[in-house]
Amino acid sequence: MKTVVRRLSGHLARGLAMIWVVTTLSFVIIRNIPGDPVRGQYEKLIEQGMSPDAAERATAALYGFLPKGSLWSQYVDYLNGLIHGNLGQSLSTPGTGVATIIGSAAKWTILPVLGGTLLSFLLGVTLGVYAAIKRSGKLGDALAISGSLLHGIPQYVIGLLVVAVFSTLWPILPAGGPVDIDFTPGFNGPYIASLIQHATLPVLTYALASYGGWILAMKSSVATVLGDDFIMAAELRGMSRGILFRYIARNAILPLFTILALSLGLLFGGAIFIESIFNYPGLGLLLVNSIGARDYALMGGTFLVLTVAIVVANIAADLLYAVIDPRVRKGAEA
Amino acid sequence: MTRTSAPGVRVKDLTVVYKTPAGELPALGGVSLSLAPGTITGIVGESGSGKSTLALSLLNAVQPPGRIKEGTVEIDGLGNVVELTGEELRRVRGRQVGYVFQAAQNSLNPLKTVGKQLLDLGRSHDFDDLPALLKDARALLGRMGLDGGRVLDSYQHELSGGMRQRVGIMFALVLNAHLVVLDEPTTALDMITQAAILKIVRDVHHERGLTTLIITHDMGVAAEVTDSLAVMYGGRVVEHGPTTEVLGAPRHPYTKGLIRAIPRLSGDIDEARALPGRPPTLGTIPKQGCVFRERCPLRIAVCDTVDPEPVTRDARTVACHAVGRLATPVVPKEYV
Repeated sequence: MKTVVRRLSGHLARGLAMIWVVTTLSFVIIRNIPGDPVRGQYEKLIEQGMSPDAAERATAALYGFLPKGSLWSQYVDYLNGLIHGNLGQSLSTPGTGVATIIGSAAKWTILPVLGGTLLSFLLGVTLGVYAAIKRSGKLGDALAISGSLLHGIPQYVIGLLVVAVFSTLWPILPAGGPVDIDFTPGFNGPYIASLIQHATLPVLTYALASYGGWILAMKSSVATVLGDDFIMAAELRGMSRGILFRYIARNAILPLFTILALSLGLLFGGAIFIESIFNYPGLGLLLVNSIGARDYALMGGTFLVLTVAIVVANIAADLLYAVIDPRVRKGAEA
Repeated sequence: MTRTSAPGVRVKDLTVVYKTPAGELPALGGVSLSLAPGTITGIVGESGSGKSTLALSLLNAVQPPGRIKEGTVEIDGLGNVVELTGEELRRVRGRQVGYVFQAAQNSLNPLKTVGKQLLDLGRSHDFDDLPALLKDARALLGRMGLDGGRVLDSYQHELSGGMRQRVGIMFALVLNAHLVVLDEPTTALDMITQAAILKIVRDVHHERGLTTLIITHDMGVAAEVTDSLAVMYGGRVVEHGPTTEVLGAPRHPYTKGLIRAIPRLSGDIDEARALPGRPPTLGTIPKQGCVFRERCPLRIAVCDTVDPEPVTRDARTVACHAVGRLATPVVPKEYV
């Protein structure tokens, strides 16, 4: 137990350091992007004939604050805010906190992307096992080729194809938006049905786009395990098919868990292309829009959420690995 | 279906081919060999002589791209295992024929404890009394000088090479199989562990009344534990007979060369003379004639065209034209 705590605290310290580095870098980069909406508004007001003082007050009233002082003092203010859990105020949606905006976008990202990731993971892993076992047959080849093909096609192309097929050629599903506005939000049938309808195509796109990677990774992992001595030994001991399958599957899936944990972390970055295509108001779309609007605070907040998610996913992957692989567990105790 | 006595094994005209880009190449070219019930038979030969392929054939477990092309492997009580498939074959493996794997050091699932894998084995073979199985395993491991309880709770990476090897032997014996095949059970082990393991193999063999086949390339191991010895070369059994006679008075020129090549612990290292030339590989095994002729000091004309038939005389089998000529004329006997 002591070792687990020590290990975890080491992870946390490294994670915090990583978050700090990324935060600082993104702060510096974001402030150096050309184009400043606050400055723009301020200058526009002056052009309209306001006195500089009045323009400054008006701008400050509009955005709730005004960037002032050197970059360094802004940085210190920003970090100070972060430490107190304050992500700042959005510039493009004046008067709204960044945390609120991210929170409401997150719910549109997490479920669909999580659904898509898990769907493609399960599908890819199952078919990957099959493709590896039947790798000298036609079906195995077909599966592997489908994997390479889907892995090679960019997400946005798959997204556009899916829209073309299911919304245009054969219009059975809505092409955009998260939900029909006709229904009252809440836990009622029509609203949920509409949610699911709207989520189907993004989830499908996401699953198709990442399925190729899973099937290829699982196929090669299973092929490696199949060549391992202990599988042949188990066969020569007459282990039943079910047990043999579990031996293969559990050993083969190990390396994929790290990738899964990391992609679950990436989930907080949203699926930028997919959300843009389906006009789905998730984190990816939010990030794109915040960059377009030069909303520093929102950009910083989105990056921060993504960073934290990936760091947490890394730590989780590491701890999970120790649970499922006794060799790692042993290493941790040593 | 459990046998209580040692089974005899008769391998007849066994041809195993491996599929390669150059066509199907023979790893075993019509091997005949019988294991008498209750004996320990050794198979010696250089790497690539087909020892492991022969051992795997006893379980009908030749791995692709290899396949058994011709021949039979009759095991008492099981029939011709070459014809067994699917579930029938699976049930024979482990339950009737114990196999200690060549790479026994890596023969365990790294993610499960030895005990859990033992339970998997028991369930695979429909053992109802799993506690008794665990008890047997602990006893076997104890006999081999290990702390059975601790080993069963261990993962593979927590065991040393010698311990893993003994665990592999335990797996081959714990279901009470009466035919046990050990493929290089002591390769990669130090001399002391090797001696300990050989002693265990011999003791358990006598105690349980097994038929045992040991594959090795170590003449010392063969001399120490086996009752009868088969010498393989180029996918053929070139000589087979009681161990003491084969080693003491070898007849086949290859066996002679092999024995002469062993350095003595006492005496001059120069007395050990290596066989000239190299053993054939799958691709270089001659299509006709004797496989050993290129390295043979007794080569005669007929060796180039005719593959010598194994000839049995005085319980000894030799496949050599020259030896046949030197001795009194012999009638090729049906293999018994």
